[in-house]
Amino acid sequence: MRMVAVFEKGERIRHIGHLDIQRSVQRGLRRSGLPVAYSNGFNPHILITFASALSTGACGKREIMDVTMAEEVSEEEFLTRMNKAMPPEMQLSEARAVDQKHPSLMATLRAAKYDLLIRDAEQAEKLIAAIPAMMGKENIPAMRKTKTALKECDIKPLIHELKGEGQHIFATLTLTEKEACKPGMLMEALGREAGIGGEIRMLITRTGLYGLSAEGELTPLEKL
Amino acid sequence: MDLNGKFEKALEKVQKAPRYTGGEMNTTVKQWDACPLRFGFCFPDTYEVGMSHLGLKILYGLINRESWSLCERFFMPWTDMISLMEEEQLPLLSMESRHPLNEFDVIGFTLQYEMSFSNILAMMKMGGVPVEGKNRGENDPIVVAGGPCAFNPEPLADFIDAFMIGDGEDVMTELNRVILERKEKGLSRLECLKNLAKLEGVYVPSLYDVAYHEDGTVASVKPNCPEAGDTVKKRVVTDLNNTYYPEEFPVPYTEVIFDRIMLEIMRGCTRGCRFCQAGILYRPVRERSLEKLTELAEKLQSSTGYEEISLSSLSSGDYSCLPELIRELMTRMKDKRVSISLPSLRIDSVLKESLEETQQVKKTSLTFAPEAGTQRMRDVINKGVTEKDLLEKVRDAFEGGWSSVKLYFMSGLPTETEEDLDGIADLAGKVIGEYFNVPKTQRAKGLRVTVSVSVFVPKPFTPFQWAAQDTLETIIAKQEHLKQVLNIKGVTFHWHEPYVSFLEACFARGDRRLGAVLKKAWEKGCILDGWNETFRYDLWMEAFRECGLDPAFYAYRERKKEEILPWDHIDSGVTKAFLWREKEKSEKAETTKDCRKGCNGCGLQRWKGVCAYANGSGV
Repeated sequence: MRMVAVFEKGERIRHIGHLDIQRSVQRGLRRSGLPVAYSNGFNPHILITFASALSTGACGKREIMDVTMAEEVSEEEFLTRMNKAMPPEMQLSEARAVDQKHPSLMATLRAAKYDLLIRDAEQAEKLIAAIPAMMGKENIPAMRKTKTALKECDIKPLIHELKGEGQHIFATLTLTEKEACKPGMLMEALGREAGIGGEIRMLITRTGLYGLSAEGELTPLEKL
Repeated sequence: MDLNGKFEKALEKVQKAPRYTGGEMNTTVKQWDACPLRFGFCFPDTYEVGMSHLGLKILYGLINRESWSLCERFFMPWTDMISLMEEEQLPLLSMESRHPLNEFDVIGFTLQYEMSFSNILAMMKMGGVPVEGKNRGENDPIVVAGGPCAFNPEPLADFIDAFMIGDGEDVMTELNRVILERKEKGLSRLECLKNLAKLEGVYVPSLYDVAYHEDGTVASVKPNCPEAGDTVKKRVVTDLNNTYYPEEFPVPYTEVIFDRIMLEIMRGCTRGCRFCQAGILYRPVRERSLEKLTELAEKLQSSTGYEEISLSSLSSGDYSCLPELIRELMTRMKDKRVSISLPSLRIDSVLKESLEETQQVKKTSLTFAPEAGTQRMRDVINKGVTEKDLLEKVRDAFEGGWSSVKLYFMSGLPTETEEDLDGIADLAGKVIGEYFNVPKTQRAKGLRVTVSVSVFVPKPFTPFQWAAQDTLETIIAKQEHLKQVLNIKGVTFHWHEPYVSFLEACFARGDRRLGAVLKKAWEKGCILDGWNETFRYDLWMEAFRECGLDPAFYAYRERKKEEILPWDHIDSGVTKAFLWREKEKSEKAETTKDCRKGCNGCGLQRWKGVCAYANGSGV
């Protein structure tokens, strides 16, 4: 069986990179004493995948891990034991037992929701005011970073929802294995629209990861 | 913007932010207001180095365990963070509750190596603590320090209020109590320091006056108040089984240098290698029982989730029931996928059996420390190891499926000749020969022999404490020679930066006057001297010149027998007479037996019941 579990990456540890988050979860699993499955081979490792790597600097409210268990464990026990074993900034909120054939999280992932807290109130106001104008355009050019270069792309089709309130901008953006609109790309375009020249300081929180239901609706990945 | 906001802003820009964020598993954040005594534990180097240090884990757990005291960590920020902190006018903040350093009642530095000294000054300055003891007022913290470099505290005398000499476990709590008493009773700083001086193992340098001869050597060190004793005896914890050892280690999010469980199986060493300061400072040898160790290993494994346990001590191969211990740990840890590694293996005590067991789980490279290239040189330093021993162990290792071997040597040892240097290459060649003697089908592929040659630094409390260090010119010439003779296929040669070793030699055997040099060098911008990219030899030399002191006086001068050494008022348990005898024997290449084979009368026999091998018969 596999356990799909929702966990938090708290604000204090938001600068921890994905590899370190992975290792911390693995050590947490080892502390918990839960019967996790290991790979075969010379350096056995815990069979675990993560739905999506969260950028260094970003917090996550509902990040998702997928752990293969060596024995059956109830969802409650998994949650209780893991929460004892994980640091306060990485607590779990949900666990769901699925069978071995359950599709992989990464393949199902379609979009992510973000809460972007703009540190400067004046900037936030300008940015929010610029949303309708930007969204009214036919295409929204942005620079996408690849391994080797910067490439221009159109993020318009990748923005599912964009709204603002106070100092927060809420965005639902495409996130798949192939294609993604990162919050930074969005903010670069929106900043340009709002006529902000300088740096925009923001606190990125990814609030959820989504796939598509049979009806084609965005649905939390862990529920699919 | 409040401190936290400023700090967060700096974190967004800094490289390796996780060094500064805290919140790691098994760290303790106690209620600030509920704890009357607040201890700021300062590791004067980066987070990655500090979090690898066992002493931090022990004292952190020990102080936090008491209901009345809390301990929070501080590390030396890297240069980029220092600039950002200056920009934001941020003080040095603790990892746990982000309180500035100067809000703690006591701050404690651990002194692991001389090249971290400038960081101590930098950290105090950043933390708002007056750098020099004489400038601290009634509201400033008491600044303490411990660790191996505290045995020659003199170069830091201007900056540290009190040194803890020897094992820290017992004296730490006693010291905290005295400082709590100051706070509760409103005692003056001076009264508090005098009370500290009354504790066994605590040295308060401001209570001593030092006079010098015209030639710069020490004329006298005298206490200037009745509370200070003529000598300060080091503290010794006699029973490790009943001494505090943490059952939880903080687990860093990011990788640090030693990112594993460290199981201290024993303290001290009976070998008596003459270059080795730790071998004297940590005397006598004391073991933890097999039962205690397996219990600790299990607890630490389940509290940390670490994948590896390393047995830690000066000479793990000498642990009296090592095969049993390893077997026991392997049995208990196998299902948990924990590997056991043995660092600091001594070549005459590696058990073939243990080797085979170790690699059941994971194979790492094997380290041997012959220290010198010829038998004569090894006899001079009393490294009781022969070439035959070494080659046998190496063969065992190669037969057991290992293919990577590290060999550690020192260059610049007293009486060293070119023949001794050639001996290093000779030995490396023979090690390679052993590999090829193992049939191709039996040995593992990919032979790698790494030869590391460090520069010998004479240290206080060793038989070489009177010796001259090789001059920089000589060291560089020797390194060139080694490069040539070690140009062997399959051998990688590493050597140490000679300039750092020269400075290390100055501070290792320095006196109080070096405080001025340290302060000047730091003012000129010297920090993080242990790192190649930040080490500024030129600035250090400028500082020496401007203070009118000659580094050669400290590094290159051979001391006379009668000379009062700057650390003579510290009692390490081992007498100066014993060390001198050892020095004389070394000159004749005469060896001294392992203490386990009979007491050599090092001086510890004077302290009743401290050393299990003392018989009092030694002179």
